[in-house]
Amino acid sequence: MLARTGATLAGGALLLRGSSAQAQSNVPGAPTPSADTGRRNVKQDWQRPGMPGRDYQPVVVPNGSKLPWKVVDGVKVFHLVAEEVEHEFAPGLTAHCWGYNGQVHGPTIEVVEGDRVRFYVTNRLPAGTTVHWHGLLLPSGMDGVGGLNQKAIAPGETFRYEFTVRQSGTGMYHSHHDEMTQMALGMVGLFIMHPRQPVGPRVDRDFAIMLHEWRIDAGTRRPDPNEMTDFNVLTMNAKVFPATEPLVVRKGERVRMRFGNLSAMDHHPIHLHGYHFRITETDAGRIPESAQWPETTVLVPVGSTRTVEFVANVPGDWAMHCHMTHHVMNQMGHGFPNMVGVKPDGLDAKVRTLMPGYMTMGQTGMGDMGDMGMAVPENSIPMVGGQGPHDYITMGGMFTLLKVRENLTSYADPGWYENPPGTQSVAATLDELRRDGIDVKAPSTADPGDPTGSRRG
Amino acid sequence: MRRSALIALTLLASGCASIQKERGHAEVAALVEERLGRKTRWNQGTPEDAEVQRHLDALLKEDLTSDRAVEVALLNNPALQSTYEDLGVSQADMVQAGLLSNPTLSGSVGFPISGVGVSEHEFSLVQEFVDLFTLPLRKRVAQEQFIADTLRVAHEALSTAAEVRKTYSEVQARQQLVELRRAVLQAAEATADLATRQREAGNITELDLATEQASAEEARLVLAQEELALVEDREHLNRLLGLWGPRTEWKVSEALPPPPVQEAPLERLESLAVRQRLDIDAARKQVSLLWNALELARSTRYFGRVEVGVHTHQDADGPRLFGPTLSLELPIFDQRQALIARLEAQHRQGERRLVELSVNARSEVRAARARLLSLRMVAERYRQVVLPLREKVVEQAQLQYNGMQIGLYQLLTAKREQVEAYRSYLEAVRDYWMAHAELERLVGGRLPGDTSSQPTAPVSTEQTSSEQAAHPSPPQHAPQRDGAQPTHEHGQAPGASSPNGQERTNSPGTRPATENPHEHGQH
Repeated sequence: MLARTGATLAGGALLLRGSSAQAQSNVPGAPTPSADTGRRNVKQDWQRPGMPGRDYQPVVVPNGSKLPWKVVDGVKVFHLVAEEVEHEFAPGLTAHCWGYNGQVHGPTIEVVEGDRVRFYVTNRLPAGTTVHWHGLLLPSGMDGVGGLNQKAIAPGETFRYEFTVRQSGTGMYHSHHDEMTQMALGMVGLFIMHPRQPVGPRVDRDFAIMLHEWRIDAGTRRPDPNEMTDFNVLTMNAKVFPATEPLVVRKGERVRMRFGNLSAMDHHPIHLHGYHFRITETDAGRIPESAQWPETTVLVPVGSTRTVEFVANVPGDWAMHCHMTHHVMNQMGHGFPNMVGVKPDGLDAKVRTLMPGYMTMGQTGMGDMGDMGMAVPENSIPMVGGQGPHDYITMGGMFTLLKVRENLTSYADPGWYENPPGTQSVAATLDELRRDGIDVKAPSTADPGDPTGSRRG
Repeated sequence: MRRSALIALTLLASGCASIQKERGHAEVAALVEERLGRKTRWNQGTPEDAEVQRHLDALLKEDLTSDRAVEVALLNNPALQSTYEDLGVSQADMVQAGLLSNPTLSGSVGFPISGVGVSEHEFSLVQEFVDLFTLPLRKRVAQEQFIADTLRVAHEALSTAAEVRKTYSEVQARQQLVELRRAVLQAAEATADLATRQREAGNITELDLATEQASAEEARLVLAQEELALVEDREHLNRLLGLWGPRTEWKVSEALPPPPVQEAPLERLESLAVRQRLDIDAARKQVSLLWNALELARSTRYFGRVEVGVHTHQDADGPRLFGPTLSLELPIFDQRQALIARLEAQHRQGERRLVELSVNARSEVRAARARLLSLRMVAERYRQVVLPLREKVVEQAQLQYNGMQIGLYQLLTAKREQVEAYRSYLEAVRDYWMAHAELERLVGGRLPGDTSSQPTAPVSTEQTSSEQAAHPSPPQHAPQRDGAQPTHEHGQAPGASSPNGQERTNSPGTRPATENPHEHGQH
């Protein structure tokens, strides 16, 4: 017991020394089994550590980060620190969240099938925690369900998880102790496992996006883990539009997008504009090509990952967002009465005698909300969107942009797309209307759809 | 105290043989003025009455202030005027006591019936003699009675003034409460209006609409009640000021002033009350006059009736006789023991009543003072904490509304709650000023060091604005006037500085019976 504790401490010290160097040591050769302190009875069943560039094309994590690692005796060693994190969802909205290594969500872990991985998990939270490796095949004792597979990691303690990666695909990790609180506060992350041998067509851009939802009342500074239904902050990699980083792609590149969903209560149908894609992977691995359908929307259920692929052959700025319309709102007020169609007339004047700053809102919807410039509670962001090239974009939340361009020199944000002449919708001219016999004042018409029925109008 | 002694001397010196119409009232006026800084007047149908009426009209034409209201009441309160007539009655009794009993002239004539002899006649003039000796003492008793009555009347005037102040505060507060109720109605109407529009747009149920409309109607009825209460409060003040007809159209535009920044020092209030209160003084005088009456009865207990006179007599055939007469009542059976016993009992009774009055006065002062301090605390807490918080709630609700987090309903609810908090604050301030007037009544004059109820000096505008900061604005956006009063030292309460420190620590309930709670070491 003492010897094991000592070895753990030694490992921790080693890690601390090496961590600043971000060592991804390239030492070749298989590790010796004797390096695996405390587990001499485990037969070595892993391969040499997979290396970026050589064994895999690293994923891109928009707005996110990756967990650093180093190789010690052929084992990839990681250090996860569970702690409170001050996180900005978008300029104007910051909250006290819980995450890992100063990040919300936790940094993306990237490994290769056959890697031996060792995770030291240090708990700097005020409560116990564990890490569950979601979707990964591993020994039961490493599965991280507090109380079931292990004792929870108490505040101040460091636990070690170690296993061999036996699969490829997109996995996740998250707290599995008081998960309702800890996941609601942000303790989730992606776990990318690249295949040892290439599978399917080579991709040029491999994006990893974690979907999540939160309840942060306007004017508060901490997500409410007690919320069951009314989530008002819907995020991609813990950011809301307009703070989501665009996905930049060179025209003609093959693109992979991996989505993980660890929302509390909601599935997310992620819809990509401008393309058909194929769902190539689920949690459990590659879908045979014969079973892949062309799709424009991929439903990412809670607790699942989905991977889609397509060739980006049409340049432009393409919206990609959850198609649940409330999920593309920022901090929507669920107590706001239905004002659509209400005629304010003299109401404003009447209320202004009591509340000088009053103005009736919502009678034509919420589209104007973002840019009205009215004072709002501190630490809150407009319900909708941000400025686009042509006007205000009336969507926020789980919304981002796929930017496909020719002649890119870098993957930095290339700015707004300029549509070639004649390829953009504009107001119709009177000449056009006359030419095509369109009377804008005529009653609306519709074909009843029944071939025997008479035409209305 | 010195003042009442002076009045007593004046009364004694001025002689009592004739009725003087203004007698007594001058003293009442002096006592009242000394305590309130306002004159009273006894309207007795003289030409000066018209002058008073003109003065009244002038007072009522201007904005009615608390002090002006007191002045009007002192000049015009009908109950007070009728109380002043008690002074006439009392004075008549006093004059009566100073008159010698009239001499008795008796005569008899006798005529012979048989025709023999001549007629005979006898005349005598007899004067009750003891009167001459007892007259000064009787006069003193009567004068003391008159002084006691004067004090009692002055006390009535002060009580009336206190009630006027209280009622005035009620009117002032009620006017503002009506305004607040209007604001609440406005909010409720806006809410119902919104609900109607939402219903027209098809966005809410009939149930929601009816609920909002019902709330608005309730707010309307509550306003109607408040308006009625204002009418009633005004009429109460009209009764106290003795007003009718066009004179009832007075205006109060001054808002209820906030409690003064600092409370007047409230120590020694108990002793001040015992020293200064006119009803206690009157009771004290009553005890003393009963004692004098007892002395009178005792000193004359062995005197019967003594009549001295002269008489002439002429017999039919004799000479005319002239000589003194003396008639003596022999106090054998009635030595006034019953009268003396009665007076002794009455004297003891008077003393007991004085003790009762003093004990009660002290207790009432303590209770009123506690009430004053408590209401002040409540008002301050509202002003410094609750109202700013309510203001913040409205501000934040407005922000949440701007962010479309809450709707107009919640926004207006926040506004209504702010108004309600201001209403509670106003009621606390009103109750404070009523308690203030009550405490003044209980100590029999202005509170020591108090500068709040000032006479005559007009409220100037710069003072109004400089004191405005101490008073929170009401939650609507109507222009606000503050009733801040100018401060100047005036009419220090008599004897307020006399050293009587130990008194306030002793409660009369626990002190030994040998000590008199009405003693204050100065009379």
